[in-house]
This record gives sequence, structure tokens and C-alpha cells, in this order.
Amino acid sequence: MSRSRSQWDTGEPMELDLPYRPACSPNITSTDSSDTNCIRQNVYIHPERSALMQDDSSFSHTEVDPRDLDFRFRPSVESSNLALSSSRSRSKYIRRTRHKSPPRRRSDRYEEPRIYTYDSYIPSYRRRRISDSSDHSRSRRDHLTTNTDPLPSQFAQRAESPLVVAMADLDMRADDRDDRRDRGRYNRDNRGGNNKRRRDDEDDHHYTPRDDRRVSQRRRRDDPRDGHRRGRYEEPPFPKLRRMIINIASTAKLPEDESIEIARLLRDNFDDDDVRNQFFDVFTQLIIDQPFKIPFVAAVAFYGNQIKAEITVEAMKRVGARLQDALAAGQWREFKLLLRFFACLQPIFEEDGIFSLLGQLFDTVVDLQSANENDVVGIELVKTILLTMPYAIASGGSRFHEKANELLNSTGIVAGNTLSVEGFIHPYDDELEETVINYHSVIGLLQQQLTSESQSGWKLACIPKFHVDALQRTNPEETLSTAPATHVFPTFTIPSPVNPGPKPLFPEAYFSLFANSESSTVPALTDIAASLIRDAIVDTIDQLDFNREVVAKFLVDLDCYWSHGTFANRGIALDKFVQEFGTDKKTYKSEDMAIDAIFSLLFKLPTSEHKLVYYHSLITQCCKAAPAAIAPSLGRAIRTIYKNLHAMDLELGHRFLDWFSHHLSNFEFRWRWAEWIDDLKLSKLEPKKAFIIAALDKEIRLSFAKRVRQTLPEEFSQLIPVRLDEDISPEFKYEKSETPYAAEGQMLLQQLRKKATHEQVQETIDKIHSQAEEQGITDVLVPSTDAFVTAICRLGAKSLSHFLSCVERGRERLLNIAQESESARRQIVTSVVEYWKDQPGIAVRIVDLLLNYTILAPMTVIQWVFGEHMGAGEALTESWVFEMVSNTVTKVTNRNRQIASARLQKGLPAEQVEMVDATLTKDRDNARELFKYIADACQGLSEGAADGLIEKETSGALSAEDGQLIRAWGKRWNMVFIRKSAIEESVVGEQAVEAKIKFLAAQPEPEIVELAKVDDTNGAAAENGDSMVE
Amino acid sequence: MPASRRNTVERLDRPSSYATSKNRRKNNRRDDDQRREPTPEFDDKLKEATTLYVGNLSFYTTEEQIHELFSKCGEIKRLVMGLDRFQKTPCGFCFVEYYTHQDALDCMKYIGGTKLDERVIRTDLDEGFAEGRQYGRGKSGGQVRDEYRNEFDPGRGGYGRAYADEYYDD
Repeated sequence: MSRSRSQWDTGEPMELDLPYRPACSPNITSTDSSDTNCIRQNVYIHPERSALMQDDSSFSHTEVDPRDLDFRFRPSVESSNLALSSSRSRSKYIRRTRHKSPPRRRSDRYEEPRIYTYDSYIPSYRRRRISDSSDHSRSRRDHLTTNTDPLPSQFAQRAESPLVVAMADLDMRADDRDDRRDRGRYNRDNRGGNNKRRRDDEDDHHYTPRDDRRVSQRRRRDDPRDGHRRGRYEEPPFPKLRRMIINIASTAKLPEDESIEIARLLRDNFDDDDVRNQFFDVFTQLIIDQPFKIPFVAAVAFYGNQIKAEITVEAMKRVGARLQDALAAGQWREFKLLLRFFACLQPIFEEDGIFSLLGQLFDTVVDLQSANENDVVGIELVKTILLTMPYAIASGGSRFHEKANELLNSTGIVAGNTLSVEGFIHPYDDELEETVINYHSVIGLLQQQLTSESQSGWKLACIPKFHVDALQRTNPEETLSTAPATHVFPTFTIPSPVNPGPKPLFPEAYFSLFANSESSTVPALTDIAASLIRDAIVDTIDQLDFNREVVAKFLVDLDCYWSHGTFANRGIALDKFVQEFGTDKKTYKSEDMAIDAIFSLLFKLPTSEHKLVYYHSLITQCCKAAPAAIAPSLGRAIRTIYKNLHAMDLELGHRFLDWFSHHLSNFEFRWRWAEWIDDLKLSKLEPKKAFIIAALDKEIRLSFAKRVRQTLPEEFSQLIPVRLDEDISPEFKYEKSETPYAAEGQMLLQQLRKKATHEQVQETIDKIHSQAEEQGITDVLVPSTDAFVTAICRLGAKSLSHFLSCVERGRERLLNIAQESESARRQIVTSVVEYWKDQPGIAVRIVDLLLNYTILAPMTVIQWVFGEHMGAGEALTESWVFEMVSNTVTKVTNRNRQIASARLQKGLPAEQVEMVDATLTKDRDNARELFKYIADACQGLSEGAADGLIEKETSGALSAEDGQLIRAWGKRWNMVFIRKSAIEESVVGEQAVEAKIKFLAAQPEPEIVELAKVDDTNGAAAENGDSMVE
Repeated sequence: MPASRRNTVERLDRPSSYATSKNRRKNNRRDDDQRREPTPEFDDKLKEATTLYVGNLSFYTTEEQIHELFSKCGEIKRLVMGLDRFQKTPCGFCFVEYYTHQDALDCMKYIGGTKLDERVIRTDLDEGFAEGRQYGRGKSGGQVRDEYRNEFDPGRGGYGRAYADEYYDD
């Protein structure tokens, strides 16, 4: 069957060296690759690199059957073509290792040859596949397909049990259909053609972005299956260099040796202009794309200096040019990363090296801060300075301690300062709850950590370090005739005025879920490692948003990129970790750090760097990449957040809700709901209960009620209306004769269905009007609108498209209603929400669409929420209400931002400037009015001054505790919208826009804006088909 | 110099070669008549593409579900469900149109390959919906891939329709 080909079967060389560096797998280096048996037997691991994956408890498989040792050379656990593929892949492996590099020279530092036992060497992708196959036996369609899995059953069982045990914590299983085909994607049919068929197959279950890239001509021609064996093939220098540098620190070798090897190969080809240029393109891009690797990339330049000084000169030139661009464009993240490269080269610079530039930067900060006390660019610069310093000290050594302490003294004032805007970005209300992390600004924390690090002599234990004399050790004959060259630190110009960059900047809060936990799985807040590692993870995640699969792999491999001993073994169980490292505050759990960092991004205020769904899918991807390791950490994260929901910022609570439901929808809705059963007894006004209700609603939106009900314990079932199990439209209230205007309502439905003329509809409506008048209703338009809108909802209940086509029919009438009466306009919302009361998600969506049609105005929605719908404030607990309000507000603010950015276009004609300015002023005022309305309403509720609340409290309908709960909700709502309002002011307010206009006018060339864009293109047309990970 | 800005990691937001080969086919056809330069038109279309083709949906996935998931990447301008040509029922694909190109790219990166209705869905940049494309092109009205599937997929009508009779007779 189509899913049987393995990766060993592919003709893709790049894949071959990767399986040796997957999660939790050992590093393998063969000393003598000419003999097949040697590959299997004589494997050496460098002690430092090996410790990462030895004794991996959650993966350990105790019994070893010698036959299993041969397993590695099997093409696949499922291959039906075992013998053929096996021999082929083996020969390929040998060839590959033979030309890859000369046998590694063994130095005394290496341990005795180690024979792999099964439990230490089975790579994770294999484990995953084992778990997949065991999964499959349970999947719904498996009873219908024949089992092609040749894996001995006892093997499968043995592999399954620890995985299942480890994951039981989160009740989550590896995705069963995820990567099986990925592995064989290149030539599942090696014949080349048959693309169409393959594509259709691919469509079946798999997302393989590069699925149909054909194998290169050469490789196809040389396919060994054609009967003639391929000759020995020397890899050309550039592809080899590219592969080596991209995979640096991710392979089996010691990074030091890798750097030297790359530098040597580069020296040999340095005179080839193409090779050199292309290499440094990759080199520079790597710094920006893969922040973890900066110290290792810098090591290439560092050893390059000893091998051939021109290498270093060229590297500094190329990276420096990019650094200058980033500085000019205000690309602060890139700037920071490129600067880190120079920091890692500190030992080769004359005099103060990078500290002179850091000093200049600080001078700029002082200028900025004295010009504007609310300046945020200066804060960004201080962050850059503080994060660059440790790398420079770690590489430069003790001669820079003095300099560093000096700089640190001066940054203290800025870092210790608190801006007024920081009051808005507290993730938790730390007055309310003691167990949560208190607010710390990123730079404030950094300053403290660095200060304490300076007092303990700048150990900076987590930063990987390189031996100056590694070159001589790897090859004693190659002694240098002269001492390595030193270089003058390149000069950079800091533009004045400083370009604030394309994105609005804000101070950042340091967020951590685990920092306060007793198990100390992540660095304490006083530990510099907390900031350094977090910063690198965050940059990796945000820089590589275009490939979450690779990011997940980096996060799983986190321990490769930090100095040995920073992390405990991967996937270590929490109790074991506490037992072994509980007292050791300098060893961390990599999974916890990864999860902690992702949540810090998901919970970044005021806005996240990327769309929130990126972080959702990244977590999903991590769970797929290393389920047994990640799932327990994730489970603890969820429980921690859930426990403190009442103190969490409301917007973050909603982000959590959104993520939680989306995440579960990717994992068969598995969650241990049972542990929250006690919380079902709580009042609906309790944040925890509100969360459960909302989460179930969100799950149903992504799936359907019956399915979600299946995944829940009985106790939760009552939270889902029974009616939803049947696939029928909500009832039409006018079908009941006791409903007022029943006959007319039904008539309207008929007329809409038959597309009756305007006059006919008006006739029915007039009937309602006359009846309403008789009953003394002041605004007769209200009942008629109710009937009309409800009829539209009923007719369009089948799907949103149906609804839209019905709205289209009644559009004119609805627009007229909107013009005539505000209360009738709000009735539109009432009717929609009432009709969809069991599925409020649909109501939210419909309201959103009606806003687009301008049938509703933003203010209508807000007034409806805080007026008709609010009651005593119970509505504040409903997540869909928050969703409706924040969607509406976002619509307004997005529009304003669009207008503001239109205003900032270069070369806008004068008459247009006037027009845009007028629109901006008007819309800005509208937005302010909207925010003010929300703020007043929320304030009223939080202080208990709202009419509805007072009424119910005095009448006793609401208990005192419930009253307090509502006040707390009001406070949290208020915080969110005050923040949103303040943020908008800082982006589209008069001051902000004027400042930007002034800045633009001062800029001679508009090209700076362009620079930001280049990296974002997806290269639809470009042939950028290489990658580092398949 | 765009070459230097090539990422060191493959991007998930590139169009599949299905879209590209479609263009190639078009150009090849023209080649028979007269030699002409390959038009840049197609690449431009995808460079600005706001529409996505979404595949491997269950037949039972509703518009609302799609909206719920895909609006996480930006406001949806239009959603066109793929229908069986004869029965006019959903047949497992759709087109999602966003307001901006960036939203479409983000969707490729963040939503493609994740699950909707517990199926791993596929997204691909599309040059834009045109009337008629909402229908399956298979012989029996659905998508071509559903004609010849010999595995049972309950979300997509069981066995391939071409084989269905055979299987159900047994």
C-alpha cells in the first residue's frame, strides 16, 4: 500500500545524516566507515554530546534482543520490500559517510567505543512510528485495511507501553497520520512520473508542502534500481558547505570540530568567488534565521581567523553590512541577532571591541530618553545591549569584566525605570493571587540578573564556549606560523533620528508559568539563564514562523545549542527530575522551558508578534515531534493556568481558551475533564466554571455536539443542550401560536422563501405595526424587525452562505431599519442572538457579517451588549460576549490603522492628505467614543454602580458573593479595553501619527521601508527549494 | 539581491507544484501554436493570491466549522464550498478567500497540515475562485480522488465510488 516506503528508500542524501540527530537519539560517529559491521558496532559518542540522550527514562526499553540491533538498517518498520531496500540503504549510508569527511581523529578525550544497546539508539522518529503503528490498530478504519506492519508484535508492544504511560498525563496520543509519508515523500514512486496519481494520494491525508518536487534528473538517471550502480560522487564545495553550516551543532559531531572543518573547507575554496559569495549569504542568513546557532556560526569565523584571516574579514564585512541595514531600518530583532555574532567574536577584536559600540548605543539611549520620557526605542536598545553583553563576556573572557560592569552600572537607571504604559501589560493581577508570577519588565529583570552574575564573576554557564586552541588539538601538525590576527571592530553609524522600525514597540513583561513552581524545572528569575535561553527560544520561534515543523524540532533539540549540563536528559519525568536535580538550580528541563517560552509568546501583551494561531499550531507540532516529552509539561502548564484563571488578564484568559479548544480539536478532544468535575458545582459566575462552559462551546464550534459529548464524562454532558445532538435548525418561535405575531412571522418566512416583492412583505410588516400600536408599543419597528430578522435567520439556518443570500434579499429593508430607529437596530442583534441561543458562535459570526454590511454599526453592538444583554452583569462571564465586543472593537481599530498607514505613504498628493486626515480625525473620534462607552459601562459594573447590578442586589436575586464576582469581572473587562484604547492612541493618536510623519519627512530615501518586506515574501516564483530539515 | 535573502529553512507558505504545473500545462499548450515567452501573469497571480484551496475535508464539515478555524488567520471574505456536481452536496474541499495576501500566507503556514474535524487538511495557494470550480471533476460528480480509493474513509463517502459497488455487493 502506498504508505509503506521508508526514508531509507529515498534518494535524498540530506536525510541520511539527520536520523542520527533526532530527538533523544544518540550521536553516532563512525570511525571506520568502510566496513558495514563497523558502522554498527564501533560507534563513538563524544562524552559531552552523548550524555544528552543516555539513560532516557521515558523512552527506555529494557530488554534487548540482539536481532533488534539490526533494526536500524531496515528500511522501515512497514516496508514490504525489506531485503532490497535494506541493502540499498546500507550501501548508500556507507558511501555517504565515506566521502563526508576523513575518519575522525580520536583524541584522549573520547571514551572507549560504546556499543549501542537498543534502548539508547533507537531514534525518536522510529519510536514515533512504532507508536503510530500501535495507534493504528485502534483507528476507526484499520479493521478494514490489512496490516502490513512486519514489526514483531512484541516489539510494538514493548515500544508502546512507555509512550502511553508517559502521555497518560495529558491523555494525548501522537498523531497517527502525521509523518509516515513525509518520510518517504521523495520517491514513493521512484519512477519519476505518475505525479498526478501521487498528488491525489497525497491529498488523502497528508500535508507535504514539497511533496511533489521531483527528484533531480541526475539522481533519477542514477537510480540504482535501473541496474547500474551509481559511481562515487563528490559533493561540490558549495552544497557541502551549505549543508555543513546549516546543520552546525545539530549533528553528531562536536560543534568545535564542525566549525573547524567548515573553516578548512572554506579556506580550500576561498578563491572561488561564487562559492565564497554564496557561502556568506547563507552564513548571514543563518544568523537571522536560526538564533540558536549564532555562537557556532561565530565559531566558524573565529577558527577561520586562525586558518585564514580573510575568512573572518569577509564574514565581518558581510554580517556588518546586514547589521548596518537592520540598524537603519529599525529591525531590532535582526539587529540584536547580528550584534550577537560580533559579540561572540569578541576575543579577536582589538581594544574594547564590541563594548565601544554598546557604549555608543547607550549614549543614543540617553539622548532618546532625555528627549521623551515615554520613549520605547531606548528600551529596545537597552534590551539589545543587555542581551549582547553576556555573549561578549563569555567569549571575550575576564579582560572585559571591568568594561561590562561599567556599562551595567549605567544601564541600571533606564532598566529600573517604569513607564506608565507598563501598567497595562501585566499578565496577572498579582495583588489578587500570590502564586502567580509577579510583573517584571524584561529589561528590569535582565539588569538584576546581570548584576548578580557580575557579582559571582560572570560564570554565564549556559552559553556554549569554544577552546581557543581547538585547532591545534584536532591537527597538531597544523601549527600557526604567527599569532592569529586581531581586527579593528568595524564602525557602524547609528542614524539620527533613530528609526523606530516598522512595528509599534512596547515594553515587554517577562512571563513564566513554571518559574514559581517548587520543582525548579526552569531557571529561577534571578538566574541569567532564564533570560538568555528564553530570548533565544523566543527569537527562534518568531523568526521561523514560516516553518513550524523546524521550530518544533529546534525546541525538542534545545539541549544541543547550550553548554553541556544545562539541561537534564530529554523527556525526563518530573519526579525523576526533582529527585536528581531538585537541589541543583543550574540544570533545567528543556521541555518546560520550551513550553514556557511558547506560552510567553501566546500571552504577550499588548499583542503577540504573530497571529495567535501560529503558537497553537506550534504547540501541536511539538506534541507531534516529541509527544512523550512535551505532553506532561503541557499538562502542567494547562493546570497552572487554569488554577489562576481568576487572576489572569481577561484577554489572556480568552487566548488560553481559544488555544485550549483548538489544541484539543487536534488531539481527538482528549483531556482529563474528570479532574475538573468538582468545579462544575461552582456558580456560573466563577471564572473556572465560565471557562469550562466556554471551552465546550468552542470545541463544538470546531466539531459538533455529539462528538464532543462523547469525549466528556457524564457530569459534563448537561452543559451541552440535548437539542444540539440532532442535526436540525433551531426552532422558529413563530411556529408556536402563543408567540405574538405568530401568523405574520410565518407569513414573512413564506414570503422570503418565495422571494415575494417588497410590497407584499411591507403588507405583512404593516400588519405587525398596527397590532403593536394597539398594544401600546412605542417603537412598532421593534416587533416587526424581530419577525423579519428571525425569519431571515430561519431561512438561512442551513449555512452562512444561505444566511448571506437571505440577507441580500432583505438588505435594503434592513438598512432602512438601521437608519430609522436605533432600538430596532439593536433588535436585529437581539433576534439573531435569540435564534442562535444554543450556538452563540454562529450569532457572533452573523453579527460580524452584519457589521460589514453596515446594517449594524459598532456602537449598536456595544450598546446592545451593555444595555439589552447585560442584565446585572452576568453577560460579562460569557466568552462569546467578550468575543463579540472585541471583534467589533478590532474592526474599528483595524480600520483606523489602515487609514493611518495610508496617511503615512510617501508622496501622497496634498488633496488626498487632506481627505485622509479628515477621515482619520472622524474615525478616531468614533473609536474614542466607543472605548469611552465600554470603559464607563465596565467601570460601573466593577464599582457596583451599574443599575442592573444594584437592582438585583437589593432585590436579593443576586447574592453578595455573586455581586463580588461580577465586580471582579467588570474590573478585568475594564482593564482589557482601557489597554486597547491606550494602545490605539499610541499607534493612531494625533501625537503618534504626527511623530511618524515628521520622521518620514526627515528620511531622505524611502527604501528603508522596503527592506522589511524582503524576508516576508514566500518566493512564490523563486526556486528556493532547499531546506535544512526534511 | 533576493538570492541572499533566501531563508535557510524551507517555507511552508509556498504554493504547491500543483498550482505551478497547472501553469506549465497552460503554457505548453500554447507552445504548439506559436513560441511565446512564458507570461509572468501566473506568478503575479500567486504573489497576490488571497484565495486558498482547502482539501481533504470531511463531507460533513460545515461552513461554520471552516469559518471558525480559518478566521483565526484573518477575516474571511468569501467561502466557497466544493460541491458534488450532481447532488450539490459538499464533496470535501473548499475555497477560502481572505482580504489580504498575508492572511492567506499565514493560513498556509499555521493552518495547513493541522486538523479540522479531526482530519489533517491541506491548503494551497490558489489563483482565485472562478465559477464552475466549486464542483468536483470526478466522473460521478465528486472529487477525482474519491473515485478510485480502495481504502474506506467514512468521512469521504466510504470506498472510492468506482469501486463502491464491488465492495458493497460482497
